[in-house]
Amino acid sequence: MSRKPVFPLIVISFLGLMFSCNELELPDLVQQAYEELPREVDFNQEIKPILSDKCFICHGPDQAKVKAGLQLHLPELAFAELEGSPGKFAIKPGNLNKSQLVHRILSDDPEIMMPEPESHLKLSNHEKALLVKWINDGAEYKEHWAFTVPQTPPLPHVKLKEKVANPIDNFILAKLETESLQPNPKADKEILLRRLSFDLTGLPPSLKDIEVFVNDNSPDAYEKQVDRLLASPHFAEQMALDWMDLSRYADTHGYTVDRYRDVSPYRDWVIKAFNENIPYDQFIHWQLAGDLMNNPSKEQILATTFNRLHPQNQEGGIIDEEFRSEYVADRTNVVGEGFLGLTVACAKCHDHKYDPISQKNYYEMYSFFNNVNESGQISFDSSMPVPNMLLPTDEQEKFMTYVNGLVENKKKAAEHIAKSESKRAEQWVEIENYQKLKSKTWPSHLIAKVDFINGSLNNSLNPSEKGKMKRQHSPIQFPKIVEGYSGEGLELDGDSWLDLDHIGFFKRNQSFSIAIRLKVPEALENGVIFHKNIGTRLYSYRGYHLALKENKLEAMLAHVWPDNAIVEVSTTEIPKNEWMQLTMTYDGSSKAKGLKIYLDGEELKTNVQVDNLYKDIIYKMPSEPGLQIGARWRGKGIGGSVVDDILVFTKELTALEVVQISKAEKFQSIINKSANELTQAENKMLNEYYVSNFSKPYQLALNELAYTRRIQVDSLEGIPEIMVMKEMEEPRQTFILKQGQYNQYSERVYPNTPESILAFPDSLEKNRLGLAKWLTSKSNPLTARVAVNRYWKNIFGTGIVRTVEDFGNQGELPSHPKLLDWLAIQFIESGWNVKNLHKIIVMSNTYQQSSFTTEELLERDKMNRFLARGPSKRLSGEMLRNNVLAASGLLNKTIGGRSVKPYQPEGLWKINGATYKEDKGDKLYRRSMYTIWKRSVPHPTMATFDTPDRSFCSVRRQETNTPLQALVLMNDPTYIEASRVLGYNMLKFPDAKAAISDVFKRVTGRSIKKEELDLLIELQKHEYKKFRSMEYKTEGWLNTGEFRISDRDSKALVAANAVLASTIINSDAAITKR
Amino acid sequence: MCQKHENLKSNNKDLQEIEKKLDRRNFLTQTSLGLGAIALGSLLKAEKTFATSYTEAIGWPDNDSLLKSYNKNRLGLPHHVPKAKRVVYLFQSGGPSQLDMWDYKPKLKGMFGQDLPDSVRQGQRLTAMSAEQSNFPMAPSIFNFKQYGKSGAWASELLPHTAEMVDDLCIVKSMQTDQINHDPAITFMQTGNQLPGRPSIGSWLSYGFGSDNENLPTFITLITKNMGGQPLYSRLWGNGFLPTEHQGIQFRSGKDPVLYLSNPENYDGHDRKKMLHYLGQLNSLQYDTYGDPEINARMAQYEMAFRMQTSVPEVTDMSDEPDYIFDMYGEDSREPGTYAANCMMARKLLEKGVRFVQLYHQGWDQHIGCPGGLKRQNQLTDQANAALIRDLKQRGMLEDTLVIWGGEFGRTVYSQGELTQTNYGRDHHPKAFTMWMAGAGVKPGHIHGQTDDFGYNVIKDPVHVHDFHATLLHLCGVDHERLTFKHQGRRYRLTDVHGKVVKGILS
Repeated sequence: MSRKPVFPLIVISFLGLMFSCNELELPDLVQQAYEELPREVDFNQEIKPILSDKCFICHGPDQAKVKAGLQLHLPELAFAELEGSPGKFAIKPGNLNKSQLVHRILSDDPEIMMPEPESHLKLSNHEKALLVKWINDGAEYKEHWAFTVPQTPPLPHVKLKEKVANPIDNFILAKLETESLQPNPKADKEILLRRLSFDLTGLPPSLKDIEVFVNDNSPDAYEKQVDRLLASPHFAEQMALDWMDLSRYADTHGYTVDRYRDVSPYRDWVIKAFNENIPYDQFIHWQLAGDLMNNPSKEQILATTFNRLHPQNQEGGIIDEEFRSEYVADRTNVVGEGFLGLTVACAKCHDHKYDPISQKNYYEMYSFFNNVNESGQISFDSSMPVPNMLLPTDEQEKFMTYVNGLVENKKKAAEHIAKSESKRAEQWVEIENYQKLKSKTWPSHLIAKVDFINGSLNNSLNPSEKGKMKRQHSPIQFPKIVEGYSGEGLELDGDSWLDLDHIGFFKRNQSFSIAIRLKVPEALENGVIFHKNIGTRLYSYRGYHLALKENKLEAMLAHVWPDNAIVEVSTTEIPKNEWMQLTMTYDGSSKAKGLKIYLDGEELKTNVQVDNLYKDIIYKMPSEPGLQIGARWRGKGIGGSVVDDILVFTKELTALEVVQISKAEKFQSIINKSANELTQAENKMLNEYYVSNFSKPYQLALNELAYTRRIQVDSLEGIPEIMVMKEMEEPRQTFILKQGQYNQYSERVYPNTPESILAFPDSLEKNRLGLAKWLTSKSNPLTARVAVNRYWKNIFGTGIVRTVEDFGNQGELPSHPKLLDWLAIQFIESGWNVKNLHKIIVMSNTYQQSSFTTEELLERDKMNRFLARGPSKRLSGEMLRNNVLAASGLLNKTIGGRSVKPYQPEGLWKINGATYKEDKGDKLYRRSMYTIWKRSVPHPTMATFDTPDRSFCSVRRQETNTPLQALVLMNDPTYIEASRVLGYNMLKFPDAKAAISDVFKRVTGRSIKKEELDLLIELQKHEYKKFRSMEYKTEGWLNTGEFRISDRDSKALVAANAVLASTIINSDAAITKR
Repeated sequence: MCQKHENLKSNNKDLQEIEKKLDRRNFLTQTSLGLGAIALGSLLKAEKTFATSYTEAIGWPDNDSLLKSYNKNRLGLPHHVPKAKRVVYLFQSGGPSQLDMWDYKPKLKGMFGQDLPDSVRQGQRLTAMSAEQSNFPMAPSIFNFKQYGKSGAWASELLPHTAEMVDDLCIVKSMQTDQINHDPAITFMQTGNQLPGRPSIGSWLSYGFGSDNENLPTFITLITKNMGGQPLYSRLWGNGFLPTEHQGIQFRSGKDPVLYLSNPENYDGHDRKKMLHYLGQLNSLQYDTYGDPEINARMAQYEMAFRMQTSVPEVTDMSDEPDYIFDMYGEDSREPGTYAANCMMARKLLEKGVRFVQLYHQGWDQHIGCPGGLKRQNQLTDQANAALIRDLKQRGMLEDTLVIWGGEFGRTVYSQGELTQTNYGRDHHPKAFTMWMAGAGVKPGHIHGQTDDFGYNVIKDPVHVHDFHATLLHLCGVDHERLTFKHQGRRYRLTDVHGKVVKGILS
């Protein structure tokens, strides 16, 4: 390759540098590119995008992947002496010859050239020339634009002052002037109102709206429309829809069977928040940390559902922690992409390749979200995952308050009676009546006793209650009867269990006690002793159990483990290889205090891990599981243990009764004592024993308490729950996870934020609330910019920063950086006022321009980045459907509530075993945002038009154009039905012209033009003639969808009109917002 | 399938010309908007000519020098001479048991019921379904194995038909995945990542190559009807972050093979054509005002939709297939939506130039009753698998069609639940499983990789999912490291940052 000296050019342009680079030769093509470069090369605009995209992968912020010790993202690193090459430098500012980088990028020797051939990355000649010039000019680094705090820019002066409606126009016009482009005139009123209505409310203007605006000649006619639409609740709906993409809102869990769970109350709160125009900073605070505010209101807690909307997994075999850690990561990523406009998720497995976010930074952010007492595997019966909050109606709330008070009263009454009755008890002890108790009899309320005598597994009190050995998927199992504690016992293999069928059905309001004798082999450290569950985690431990856990005992009552449960673990280990007797007693209070474990008659001290049981512990399934001994489905049993003497009581045994069943001889020795020989503890036990067994008033009080508790518990069952954030009392420890692997712990980290964005001030709480405040701090360079950019994108189709999700080094630079800053500062200073921001944007002249374009302008600015014309964009899938529903008058404008099921082709949900049952009546016609969103099979009417599946945060939709979209608009029953209704309504008009003009305006928002009218009249005539002669062809047009026409005589005409309406619906005038 | 206009920007001179034409306002007025669509037709024809020029002309040369004389497309594809023009992937969802079908382990017979040695398991993680079992009794297959064909490959009695074809198969016994549960594992197998969000294999190929048929989608999905079993999700054939037009289009049995394909009842193609004629004129009036090329691009999609309305029912109508073909695929093939019928349809779609056909057959999750379950599954699939290979072969298509068979993972050697002489269950096993391929560019009658005596660990030539993806792309003429898409600032590829082409299976 021939090389020319770069010298002549340098001499001309940069005399001062001639000595440093006069010997370097550039390849021809690079030289040519060099000569075409502008005078000034800007680091942020031109250089960093190249360095980031082509060099940072090996020479960027990712410490672990740095090659040759060289990092180019910071000047001090880039200018440093090269590792292992004394006196050599990658970049020597102003000295091309001494800059190894220059030689490397110009070389075509595969051994030397950069980027390396294996990277498949290449520098263009233009890029090489830019880098050469930049180094030649002194290799000036500048801070990444997005990480500097926005400063209020001066308003540029513009020549076309009459085109300035507000400061937005100054920035836009200034750029147009430098580009020698002219702005478009204002859009036609009808077109503008349609654009405005869709942008602000997602709905088309009504005929009346159009008429009012067209006839309003006052100077503020347009502003009136803006104000009207901003005040409409439909504005809030449209804002909420945007937020549904960001917050990955969906109606199903997402993974595997992908079942429904109702989170619509959160969505409705979002609508309400936008309706009330709560400041955006507060909007973020509530969602990230409403639960951590002082005396949080229900709404503030409800807002935190935001953090729980990520997909959750119900698959039976999954490893809990693997998915739990995924959920935490998802929350972290949403903050990154949604609020900071950064791809922080890239730093989950390694330091970010392009942006100054280390893996440590990532897990510091992650730690804010890691303190939720949740599970990775959620219940297969679709119980609401925990932690969650009850959402009673006002009426339910009142009732619950009343019942709770009642229970409290009854409880106090019982306690009071117990106290007063203890006088009698004292007498009873004093006169030594306890000596009449018999040690061999059982305490009262014994309902089952399984003692394996003669190898029987049945309840010896009622032999018709049969026990059976069972094992996962293997129905026929034989018991292994061995020598027991007294007589025979049952030896367990760890996989099979003794199922006592319907014995042991207890609700959480019922008191009960279960006792068992067992002998555990030395090596066994874990395994369930007895339980009333279906499986283990598959149903989140619903029911109760007593289990061996690392040699200790764990007692659990659960609605949904881990948060809606009582879990306590003994502080001491159990003896092995010897017979022991265990009793679990429970008083029906739903409190850990009421759940006790006894070992050989002694109550064990326990650590309470969770004490938060607030829903019932039974399954609402046709076959309620009963008490099972020794193992469980998909769980670990107590293989090698022998059990005996299983006793079930329908009351909470007192301490002495536990002694009575566990150590008869000890009980005997107590009751044999004379009153003055009794220890204080024995005295107390006897006292309790008396009250519990012989006091009629106490019995009565207990019965009443039990009765009110039952009402309390049962009435809670129907109250819906919603997932929310709740901080664990003791935060979970967070570690850097190597390669992002859930079980590969590295260094421990603490809550913090990336310094490169903004150091976390000491003054803020080191929790989510602090994080939320950090996000919206005035010094945070990103949050406001990212928000205004997203709203700008919603309205103009493209963001000022096109990569709405990425403001980092790999993102695109803003087209109008100063406008972005102006908007961001204006947004903050307005008190993060979302409505105000929208008003400013739509009041600009820029927004109000016509969108028509010329070939010349298209050639210059195909993507409309300069905004010499107004925005035009295909309506979203939601808007398209809203449009025809509104135009036909079918639209049901109800706001909020559970998602609905409009028409959908049959069988789509079958791929994961579900059935879609269409709604009936006006639910078919709700706004599109209320259509049920199933992540694994999104509704095709919307999904075909690029609605994201909402498994992740999404802030920018794709914009595609496919034949499937044409098929939806032509043949989806929603569209056929709307066409028919529109066609039917045309019958009211005396003449075809008026009818066609009317339907055209309804669908497209504008008056029909003569040529269009002529064309459509012809179409209608043609179709009418056809349908008249071939009536059978009307079939589909008349009978698709629920709505039926009453006037059967006009079949042919209605069908022809329907085709006409459908044609308009499929036309650009309807599909595109202009 | 066509794309958003912006995306059509091409480096190819011919295409650039057509693009300019598309942009011109006279596009619509010069075009008959019935079936004709001259400009669109010529655009697609150009793409077709262009797309097939290298494939037709190269005649599968074995040196790369020939490749250089052909135009590469806008993405620089193919990177090398492709062996596979098209792919059919027979996905067996649930995880078929390699131990009962392909991976013969005679030594296990003597170890019936013995606990799986820790030295074999090596602390490998188990699913939450069997991890807590008190023992892991080894379950030798109850099925008889025999050697078949010249290659002498072992196959069990479950596979009487496919076994006859072993000399055409390249059996990979050393597949490995990272995932141990269905949802992450199937997502991993189909998209290269265990979490939702990435493009599927077929959508990468669609993105890379576009379509060879102007009337049908590039990437089509067929699912055996009424199977139940482990769920499927549309993300498995989804486009992830690639443009939507690259998603797999599910063809369903029944009236509407493609969603909303059918016009309102009794409103036929002629009627629709007329309506589109008017629609075209209406749009051209709109174009006069706004000059927006999107109007033309959208009308082009209506043309494509219209053509699909004819071509899809045609291609899905199997009535003119001769009886001997039905007989070859088995009785089931006469009933639309069965696995056999789908295999037959796959062949037809491939014949019509569809690049990637992805079948799914659910029901391979034999946690319990493994022998019985496998019998049933193989009765539904074995004959059709063999027939598909035969059928492609007899049409001369096997040499440039890649057939892939396999699930998301294998099954454990130990019994999940109770082991008896006649029955056992098997849990998920990610560390070793069997897949087979046939046709374009893979060695016929070849066995790749080997597992230990327990079928538990790979002891020779492991093939990781990423390697499988790399190889699949390689066979299609794609260097897996170079087919990338920039999304959120990063270049993504099917193989993430991994994957090696498995040279040992290439013919």
